[in-house]
Amino acid sequence: MKQQLMKWTMVLAMGGALVTGCKKNDAVEDNDEELITTMKLSFVPVGGGTTLTYQFDDADGPGGTAATQDEIVLAPSKAYNVTLQLLNKTVIPVTDITTEVASEADAHRFYYAPTAGSNITVSGLDNDADGVPLGITGTWTTGAVATGKLKITLRHYPGTPPGKAAADAVDSPKSGTDIEVEFNTKIQ
Amino acid sequence: MKSIVALLLATLMAGTSFSQVCNLQLSGHVEDADTKDKLQTATVSLKETGQTIVTDAKGDFAFTGLCAGNYTVLISHVDCEPVERKITLSKNQHIDVFMPHARKTLGELTVEAQRGIANTGFKKELSGKALSESRGLSLAEALSKINGVTILQTGSTIAKPVIHGLHGNRILTINNGVRQEGQQWGNEHAPEIDPFIADKLVVIKGVDELRYGSDAIGGVILVEPKALRNQPGMGGEVNLAYFTNNQQYVASGVFEHQLKKQPAFKYRLQGTFKKGANATTPDYRLNNTASEEKNFSATAAWKKNKFSTELFYSHFATKLGIFTGSHIGNLTDLKNAIASEKPSDVFLGQQSYAIQRPSQDITHHLVKSKSLLYKNGHKFTLLLAGQFNQRREFDIVRNTANTKPQMDLSIYTFSEDLSWEHPKKNNFNGAVGISAVQQQNSYAGRYFIPNYEANTFGGYFIEKWSRHRWEVQGGLRYDNKTINTTRLKFNGSIINYDFNFSTLAASLNTIYKPNEHWRLNASVSLAGRAPYVNELLSDGIHHGTATYEKGDIGLKTEQSVNLSAGLSYQHPSDKVGFELLLYSNSINGFIYQQPMPNNPVLTIAGAFPLLQYQQTDAVLRGGDLSVFYKPSPALEWTGKASVLYARNRTANDWLILMPANRFSNELTYNFKAGKKVSGAYLSAEWMHVAQQNRVPSDKNGAQDYKAAPAAYDLINLHASATVPVYHKPVTFSLGVRNLLDAAYRDYMNSQRYFTDEMGRNISLRIKLAL
Repeated sequence: MKQQLMKWTMVLAMGGALVTGCKKNDAVEDNDEELITTMKLSFVPVGGGTTLTYQFDDADGPGGTAATQDEIVLAPSKAYNVTLQLLNKTVIPVTDITTEVASEADAHRFYYAPTAGSNITVSGLDNDADGVPLGITGTWTTGAVATGKLKITLRHYPGTPPGKAAADAVDSPKSGTDIEVEFNTKIQ
Repeated sequence: MKSIVALLLATLMAGTSFSQVCNLQLSGHVEDADTKDKLQTATVSLKETGQTIVTDAKGDFAFTGLCAGNYTVLISHVDCEPVERKITLSKNQHIDVFMPHARKTLGELTVEAQRGIANTGFKKELSGKALSESRGLSLAEALSKINGVTILQTGSTIAKPVIHGLHGNRILTINNGVRQEGQQWGNEHAPEIDPFIADKLVVIKGVDELRYGSDAIGGVILVEPKALRNQPGMGGEVNLAYFTNNQQYVASGVFEHQLKKQPAFKYRLQGTFKKGANATTPDYRLNNTASEEKNFSATAAWKKNKFSTELFYSHFATKLGIFTGSHIGNLTDLKNAIASEKPSDVFLGQQSYAIQRPSQDITHHLVKSKSLLYKNGHKFTLLLAGQFNQRREFDIVRNTANTKPQMDLSIYTFSEDLSWEHPKKNNFNGAVGISAVQQQNSYAGRYFIPNYEANTFGGYFIEKWSRHRWEVQGGLRYDNKTINTTRLKFNGSIINYDFNFSTLAASLNTIYKPNEHWRLNASVSLAGRAPYVNELLSDGIHHGTATYEKGDIGLKTEQSVNLSAGLSYQHPSDKVGFELLLYSNSINGFIYQQPMPNNPVLTIAGAFPLLQYQQTDAVLRGGDLSVFYKPSPALEWTGKASVLYARNRTANDWLILMPANRFSNELTYNFKAGKKVSGAYLSAEWMHVAQQNRVPSDKNGAQDYKAAPAAYDLINLHASATVPVYHKPVTFSLGVRNLLDAAYRDYMNSQRYFTDEMGRNISLRIKLAL
């Protein structure tokens, strides 16, 4: 029996040696694939002109270095075709999350909420396969010179089936928030 | 039953056969199997004749004038597990009986207790009837039947024990002698232990804590299995349970065997399967609150003369669903969810056993080897253990094809303990021990805590003295812990931190028994707890509470001074008695999460309130009182009260997340044992939990999202009876929790922001002894 005890002691000791032997875990952080660090908006003026880009950028994710956020500056009385892009910059190569959102369009929806007096209206959002707004692309129309704010919200429907409907408000209990960014806007 | 028939036949034969005379002798000798002490005043009885005698100073006994036949000899002693022997008497016979210590394989504490020195500190246990009533519940829920123990919950599937307001790393859980090491720091990380392993759950404070660590500021929970079988042959037990609220069924079985040819060897196999569907509040069913648990354990022991060794393996695996409506994207979502009276209908109404995201998947393995050697009354113990714990948490993800966990933590722990207990001499006995722990943690997926290696070395010394009406115990312990952490970030930067903490603990208890009925005790305990890795280095969003949690690498060790006084009384008639405990636990450098309402963390999903780990000076004062009164042998009333006042002394405010005061009354009616039915009783319990009014004030910004919920009352019922089925005892029990289907929320449940607690839950239990 003593022999058997010795055997088990050995097994445990060996196990201990193995664990203490294989030093600190040297694997690179397998960062949260759910992370979105950057939201980029590209503004193509209808009828020609220079493309403008504005973004919210938190390159290292939540915490750490603080996020930076552009002010959206647009020309008065103009229409822009706007395309939204989501990136995860904490992985190499940088991943484009927009395609992932588009591929599950029936479970996602972008909302655009300009404040009154910002003189911006957002219309013509693209739809998912069921004809419910998705909002990766849209048309922004500006009015007279003004300053204001515009909030972009990405909502995600966790349910199976997602049950997304055109009438769903931005704070629908059916969906949860993935993105909520409020930009300062200026028309000049 | 068989033996009675045999006896009847035997007596009949004795009567008819003219040559037989009833003049046989059965003598014997009783010894403690572990210590080899001769056992005086052990009770020896013959079931068939009803004769009972006690052993003399040499541990000897003798029955005379017996007829030939089959007899069942029952030997019992206060310190030991009873032993039953079946013998066939045809001539004078002598038997040697080695009595096993009642809880020899349990915590060392109880072994001490059996040697005549009770644990003079705080000690409360759950066994027998109370434990039976909690079969099928989680470990924490079972423990909450002990006065002074409450639970911290995340919904109906996750519960952690809270002792006198303290939980998590401030409580040590000793699973079959081994310090449980998982990820116990998280509020939604429940202990990874199958309560069916336990024959007894014990909560201790004071000197005996020192055997397990210097950091048990809140106390120690001992999960104690039954001693292995001590009668050659096989046996077993099956427990079945069904709960109506969430259609949960539980099956648990034990098989034990002591070899007839080689009685030194014995083993036990045990397993539990548990599966529950979505839980129901009085008004709605909560989607994704199902759970599943698969546990298995095996024990093998060899005991011969003065040496014994035991090998134990257990495997715990659980899958837990977390209510879908509680997964929060950002602060706006949280506020919307809190503002609504009940969760959105999309998260309600599914009756299903399916577990979807968000969920947890946890496995825990434990291998233990324990060897004991007795020499001239000295006892040497070597305990080696290895543990592996994997915790995987699945969040709601964008891509439904994603099957990966978002948080994946693996921790290996190896521990070695060596102790020496000296025999009682000049009213002293005591123990010295050294221990070492090696730990390695690694993570995959989202960062919350870093990879780390921790090494702890410690030693303790305990002495106990007892004489006449006095008992004094004292002990010291020192531990040194080194933690080396590393985080290799996505951009290639390596963040390393090294820490070293020394902690000292000491305890002194005194007990005075002026007579058999009164017992007074007073104790002072010092404990020191090194900050955990999550408190030092956590950094990330906590989705359950929509907060950003941040550690502080500058944290120092927590130091507590706990003063307690106890008084108990039992009337000579045993009809009335009470037990009172008062305590005041001062904790300097108490580590807690301070909400920083003015410094939100801006993320792409909006601003998250920041919770920063900080230290303060805290004091927890409270008391537990229990009273019983038995107006007749059948009727018993028990009253309990537990109060706690927890202050943040630095801020001159209350501490957050402390259990509210509670009171309970239980009335039990015990039926007389009939010819067939035994152990039948009926009990009704009324429990009142007050509203927690002692919460931090909002003068420096909001400290909580929602005011503490209102007080609530619960009525619970229990009924049980044992009947023989094919000569084997079968116990049937019926329990009803929340009889009136009251809709309520509890301050200590993080889901109180979203949903009510479980409604009425009727349970049926069957216990079969094989």
